[in-house]
Amino acid sequence: MNSRILKILLKRLSSSLLTLFLLVSILFIIIRLSPGDPTDKYVSAKLGNELSEKIAEKFSLNQPVVDQYFSFLLNVIKGDLGISYNYRLPVFKVVWEYFSFTLVFASISFVLQITLSIAISLWIIKKQNKKLEKLISNSSLFVYSIPSFVLGVALIYLFSVSLNLFPISGLKSLDYENLSFFSKILNRLYHLVLPLVTLSAAGIAMFYKYIKESMDEVLHQAFIINLQASGVSEKVILRKHVMPNALRPLISVAGVELGLLMSGALITEVIFSLPGMGRLAIESVLSRDYPLIIACVFTAGAVIILANFFADIIKLKVDKRLIKGILN
Amino acid sequence: MIVIIRFNLVAGYLTLFFNYIGLLVRDTKAAAAIVNFSFIDAVLSVIMFLLIIPLIVLFKKKWTFLKNKLNFSFAFLIALCFIFLFTPIISNENPEFSKNLSVTKLLPPLSTVKLIQLKSNESGSISESEKFRQRMDKIIKLSYNDNIIFTDSVKLAGTVKYYQKHDVKEIILEEILTEDGLPVVKEKFFLLGTDEFGRDLFVRLIFGTRISIAIGFGAVILSLFIGIILGFTAGYRGGLPDIILNRFTETFLAFPVIYLVVLILALFGSSIFSVIIVLGISGWMSLFKIVKSEVLSIKQKDFFSTAELVGLRKSQLLLKEILPVIVAPVLVNMVFLFSNIVLAEAALSYLGLGIGNSYPSWGSMISSGQQYINRAWWLVAFPGLGLILTLFSVNSSGRMLGKIFNPRLNT
Repeated sequence: MNSRILKILLKRLSSSLLTLFLLVSILFIIIRLSPGDPTDKYVSAKLGNELSEKIAEKFSLNQPVVDQYFSFLLNVIKGDLGISYNYRLPVFKVVWEYFSFTLVFASISFVLQITLSIAISLWIIKKQNKKLEKLISNSSLFVYSIPSFVLGVALIYLFSVSLNLFPISGLKSLDYENLSFFSKILNRLYHLVLPLVTLSAAGIAMFYKYIKESMDEVLHQAFIINLQASGVSEKVILRKHVMPNALRPLISVAGVELGLLMSGALITEVIFSLPGMGRLAIESVLSRDYPLIIACVFTAGAVIILANFFADIIKLKVDKRLIKGILN
Repeated sequence: MIVIIRFNLVAGYLTLFFNYIGLLVRDTKAAAAIVNFSFIDAVLSVIMFLLIIPLIVLFKKKWTFLKNKLNFSFAFLIALCFIFLFTPIISNENPEFSKNLSVTKLLPPLSTVKLIQLKSNESGSISESEKFRQRMDKIIKLSYNDNIIFTDSVKLAGTVKYYQKHDVKEIILEEILTEDGLPVVKEKFFLLGTDEFGRDLFVRLIFGTRISIAIGFGAVILSLFIGIILGFTAGYRGGLPDIILNRFTETFLAFPVIYLVVLILALFGSSIFSVIIVLGISGWMSLFKIVKSEVLSIKQKDFFSTAELVGLRKSQLLLKEILPVIVAPVLVNMVFLFSNIVLAEAALSYLGLGIGNSYPSWGSMISSGQQYINRAWWLVAFPGLGLILTLFSVNSSGRMLGKIFNPRLNT
């Protein structure tokens, strides 16, 4: 059994690595296809051809494209994607600083989305009120249709400008350094309330739809009716039989949803000017800091591939039937 | 109804069009120099507008499905298509028009200002094409007009005194355009208020609708092509192409699309076409999966193997045997794709990576409105509302279409 699981793990890992390799290749193709001479990004063309030729030689730009491709791959493996123009630091150092915030931010929002959507759908099923169900279903579609930047700006207007309850932007108060450890955390959370609502709303609506549909499906299956007929209480049925079966398909959806979460986090960080990787990417686009943009894209892609890999492993752990499917 | 309200304008466009044909016959070179985008735009929409009335009458029976199930989202979508097709007729103002900032800056919705129209100083002998150009400028509005002055209030006593916030200015009565011997002092009504440059928000909103929908259609059609061709190849051929294409699709699905789009737009520059191409490229994956699985199941059917044996070419197989079968699931998917693309376009222009400042766009209107949020809520509220309603009605009609085509889902 152990060797079988190892085999599956290797198979998944190799397919993830292949995807990562394709990602890097596509990045390389996009960069090479982009208009303009690469040396222009370092020295002005007015300084004469000699200087730009020197730079081309130094960056081995006059070698064949295939050689450039291999050296690009080698550099990616070594973790060297160049030096940021603005920060004058290796790009991965800069990205890591900002990425840690995005990771925490997105994870909190992810947990919020899952727990809230499960809670809402359980509540609806317990109520068994057709009208309420329809209302929630329609309003979930409506919430799903609100773009995050409209919601974010509306929240800022309501809670920050009109009611003055929450801060407009930023991550910490001015007197942050003088606070005790506990109130430091509280202060950060207080600043994160509006961004979290903005980022999570659409996700809650989407997950609610998935969970509700799969719960309905499970509820109509024969074994549930059998349990109900045998007099098992509704609470036990919901908790022990419906929930585990209904949540199983959610795991693979969650892996894909992470991609949405990353792009949502990007926009939310821009709205509330939070120090995350998304805002870093946009800022580097606007200031033409190419190595930094490429590093951001690479990191985001790698994170999603990694998350899908873990989602697959968890799914295998939950559902033993899949193991057979993959091996055959 | 719109025919009656905008009759003047339609007639104006039409006379302009006929004048232009006359000019084209006499002086081709000058005529070619005059043509610009807004002129063609206006003429085309008038022609379409006049065509649509007989079309509706002719195909009355086919339109009956509209009468049966006309709910809010369908009605809203039809209104959107209408705005998209006939933008120059619905609003004959230039979306970039701005004048007398001190008066018109950041006006709240439903506000009015006084408008004085000056006489235009027409010089005597001018060539025919010049004359035509002047007539054109009168009907198709430019983004700047010297002869219009917005004021807070006007006093007519010998001379004309007009007030602009703290300024008082005077001009002679003779300069003002007269109608029936009376000087023309009109009222300009801003339905949705104005933005920070004194531009009419309503006009900008309507022109922004057009851009969003055009980009949505363009990108959906592009992804449709990519998805169907790749899906057909993968499903029909099987084997190695299938494996390669599958891996390729997985990579695209793993890609954080917005980062990819941002990277491409940053490297290649952003224009209307690059936005359409990038959004089209980033959205075909679900179509690919649907087409592939459908083709795999159709391949087993008898009618398909018969068609193959008869010796149809691959393109004929795709067009005649497969497309009619997969049209329902593909259509539903396209509707959802459309809403995703409209959202993505708005998000891109919110981030400042959209189609640039030459066109108004919902996303860029929201992002510039965010800076004035504590003084002017309407700058964000109306484009935001338009966006939410558009996405909601597209999504819910997609859901309805899905229910119509696939009754099993209807639980």
